[in-house]
Amino acid sequence: MKRLFVFLVLALTISLFAQVSVPREETVYIAGCLWGPATTWNLYAPQSTWGTDQFLYIPAFQYDLGRDAWIPLIAETYEFLDDKTLRIYIRPEAKWSDGEPITAEDFVYALELSKKLGIGPGVGWDSYIENVRAIASKVVEFKARTEPLNYFQFLSYSLGAQPMPKHVYSKLEAAGTIKDWINDKPEEQVVSGPYKLYHHDPNIVIYQRIDNWWGKDIFGLPRPKYIAHVIYKDNPSASLAVERGDVDWVGLFIPSVWEMWEKKKLPIGTWYKEKPYFLPDGVGFVYLNNTKPGLSDPAVRKAIAYAIPYEEMLVKAYFGYGSQAHPSMVIDLFEPNKQYINYELAKKAWGTSDGRIPFDLEKAKKILDEAGYKPGKDGIRVGPDGTKLGPYTISVPYGWTDWMMMCEMIAKNLKSIGIDVVTEFPDFSVWADRMTKGTFDLIISWSVGPSFDHPFNIYRFVLDKRLSAPVGEVTWAGDWERYDNDEVVELLDKAVSTLDPEVRKNAYFRIQEIVYRDMPSVPAFYTAHWYEYSTKYWINWPNEENPFWFRPAPWHADTLPTLFSISSKNNPQSVPTWIETTDKGGLGIPTAKVFTDLQSAGK
Amino acid sequence: MASKPMFRFLLRRFIFLLVTYIVATTVVFILPRAIPGNPLAQMLSSLSQVAQANPEAIRAAERTLMKEFGVDKPVLVQYGEFLLKALRGDLGTSISYYPRKVIDLIVPVIPWTLILLLPATLVAWILGNTLGALAAYRRNTWIDKGVLTSSLVVSQIPYYWLGMIFIFLFGVRLGWLPVQGAYSQGTIPSLSWGFFVDALKHYVMPFASIVISTMGGWAIGMRVMVVYELGSDYALFSEYLGMRDKRIFKYAFRNSLLPQITGLALNLGTVLGGALITEIVFNYPGTGFLLFKALTTLDYPMIQGIFVILIASVYLANFIVDFLYAWIDPRIRLGQEE
Repeated sequence: MKRLFVFLVLALTISLFAQVSVPREETVYIAGCLWGPATTWNLYAPQSTWGTDQFLYIPAFQYDLGRDAWIPLIAETYEFLDDKTLRIYIRPEAKWSDGEPITAEDFVYALELSKKLGIGPGVGWDSYIENVRAIASKVVEFKARTEPLNYFQFLSYSLGAQPMPKHVYSKLEAAGTIKDWINDKPEEQVVSGPYKLYHHDPNIVIYQRIDNWWGKDIFGLPRPKYIAHVIYKDNPSASLAVERGDVDWVGLFIPSVWEMWEKKKLPIGTWYKEKPYFLPDGVGFVYLNNTKPGLSDPAVRKAIAYAIPYEEMLVKAYFGYGSQAHPSMVIDLFEPNKQYINYELAKKAWGTSDGRIPFDLEKAKKILDEAGYKPGKDGIRVGPDGTKLGPYTISVPYGWTDWMMMCEMIAKNLKSIGIDVVTEFPDFSVWADRMTKGTFDLIISWSVGPSFDHPFNIYRFVLDKRLSAPVGEVTWAGDWERYDNDEVVELLDKAVSTLDPEVRKNAYFRIQEIVYRDMPSVPAFYTAHWYEYSTKYWINWPNEENPFWFRPAPWHADTLPTLFSISSKNNPQSVPTWIETTDKGGLGIPTAKVFTDLQSAGK
Repeated sequence: MASKPMFRFLLRRFIFLLVTYIVATTVVFILPRAIPGNPLAQMLSSLSQVAQANPEAIRAAERTLMKEFGVDKPVLVQYGEFLLKALRGDLGTSISYYPRKVIDLIVPVIPWTLILLLPATLVAWILGNTLGALAAYRRNTWIDKGVLTSSLVVSQIPYYWLGMIFIFLFGVRLGWLPVQGAYSQGTIPSLSWGFFVDALKHYVMPFASIVISTMGGWAIGMRVMVVYELGSDYALFSEYLGMRDKRIFKYAFRNSLLPQITGLALNLGTVLGGALITEIVFNYPGTGFLLFKALTTLDYPMIQGIFVILIASVYLANFIVDFLYAWIDPRIRLGQEE
């Protein structure tokens, strides 16, 4: 009895001092990437927990959007045997966190497993890659499919491949439990990246740096010892935490973000100090259902394009966090993309200096008049064949306040030119159902963003009828407006199966002609790459003046180098040189060089 | 006490509960499915929004998910599976948090909900009833007027607003209390004195706001009932007999308490449903938010899982009340006899 008492007192005294916490100065706190309980740390799942893809399992090469280059992470080099065969040489140092070497087998296994399960890293690779083979323990070979031949997909699937620990997964596969595996035990996690799970509960997910990470001598270590994401329940509570300096790295929509530093004098920043504050992350479209009577007429769609109040909409509804998209669909805010736009053509088509569509209600009316749409008694236009322009709905999910406001403004202007449009804001899943089944009239929605194969990716997403499905059948893959044009399909295939940059460019130019003629849907604005930071504890964040990484948001798949470049406030360090391209002393291999190598290997 | 009529009464109640339980679970199965929309939409849309998601990847995921969640199976088959599994205690796998089991998602948040809501409900009940009775006892004095008006006002304040005011005042302006979470960011829950104090600090505002906003309702109800009892024949008769005020009040109080106990039991039964707004405003963990998320994403297994637990706990509370009633109040037990 006495002994028990002593033990209890002892236990109590020890526990008094045993409160576990992570030190604030060594932790980067994050908001904006996790809004509910964690799911799994296993990539063979439809949604893994944020961080798994970003920090735990890294790819062979990391794509650098800003420099259009590939940084070898797990891979050391590549080699093209011919213009269809790529070999990747794995770094001799590369190891799993349990000490096993990362081998070619791990690459092959990861991809084969994704193919078998229909889900996982690199799923869909077999559409473009004939086979993946382990040539030697550190050499993987990828062979491109020739039917269809798509160099961009071939390269992004192979250079961006993520190996998975075969010695771990093959056991799970044998037991048939891969899909149910949560992988939430830190001591059992086997990862290739510089972090692994430290703790998680319904309030927080914390990752801890692996201090003897295999890449330490090549890349250094990422600066924060811990990265922690508090699970906020909604945007206001997350924003409040940002304001209080509880969060360092943020990926949030914050209304009037500039007030944080201009009015409240807080140490918070975004990419740009002035409008538009954020980098672009994609193109927001006003999709017009090409199968609806009235909207099926290109003249009507063009008139709609003229009647969207782009500037007013962005300033009033979007806090100026974006700019009007170019009608070519190409995101021309990134320098490397400008070559793909035929500016002469755009200027001629739309009559503005950079070819952006002007907001011009008179012009819109004129187009409708010329196409024979006469205003009826109620002011709504009726076409020569009796088609009435309306009533249509324009919809976005309820609660998406910025887009809801845009809908109101578009509807008002369309009414003024004689097209009857009312707004409708259903629940997300109802809205999504209409979008993917093609039963909507007009909607505002996303498309795809800047990437290695831009603008191919956006043309394909918006215009490729092979991604579509008959009205009433669900398709998430693309072509929501059900645009149907065989020439575009041919041009798309041509653009990606050639190694001649001129041929590719001309294919894109021809697509632009078609787009200006048919206006299948309207590219309206660039959506923002939500990214804010606080310099209270951590400094050297990438921004306009310090642009060393162009996908700096914590939620983005390519964000990892950001953590190697920021510094603790008490210990300022410089940005590592490996982040640069080879001609500037770094490791990044420019995409142009990859293509030249590919071309010369074919000869 | 364990007399035969008593036993029969309880058995009848039990069978009744079992039948209503089956009806209720059926409703829980049907209702979410009647909402138009697709439970996979949220997941597929986030896949589609990942910058480099390839159409092939989305297509493959679409097919895999349809099969995985059995949404391509006939509804009757799905219903049968749900009933069978629920009986075995298997609530299934969440759709939006796949591959986590519904039960594994609910269990870690239940303690938070219970720790917050059980004491808050009890304290509000005790305080509210005491104040209400006091007001009735001292009718038409300044106490009565004070309690009545403040209860009316407080019970009509939108809870959301009250929570925000609390945060603004005590958290932001005065800086006395932490504004959100169940414990300080960066600490890891452990059985230690430091953690306990930290959690307690975070507990104060959500707790106080619930107590304040629910207390008024109890007080008003109690006051009305005591006033009614005090006006009833037995109270008047006792008064004429020259019984002391305090004693009469005691009788009235006891009689008024019965319906309040029913109210409390029902309230405690729904505690597991969580307090959604408290959880959102104070960023506090709990089941309410989980249910909210499940409803907005049409996560059928999760909705079903939470409701099954909820229904079971309401019934349990009901059953206990029935039992208590039968024990406390012979009229009920005897009334069943006829």
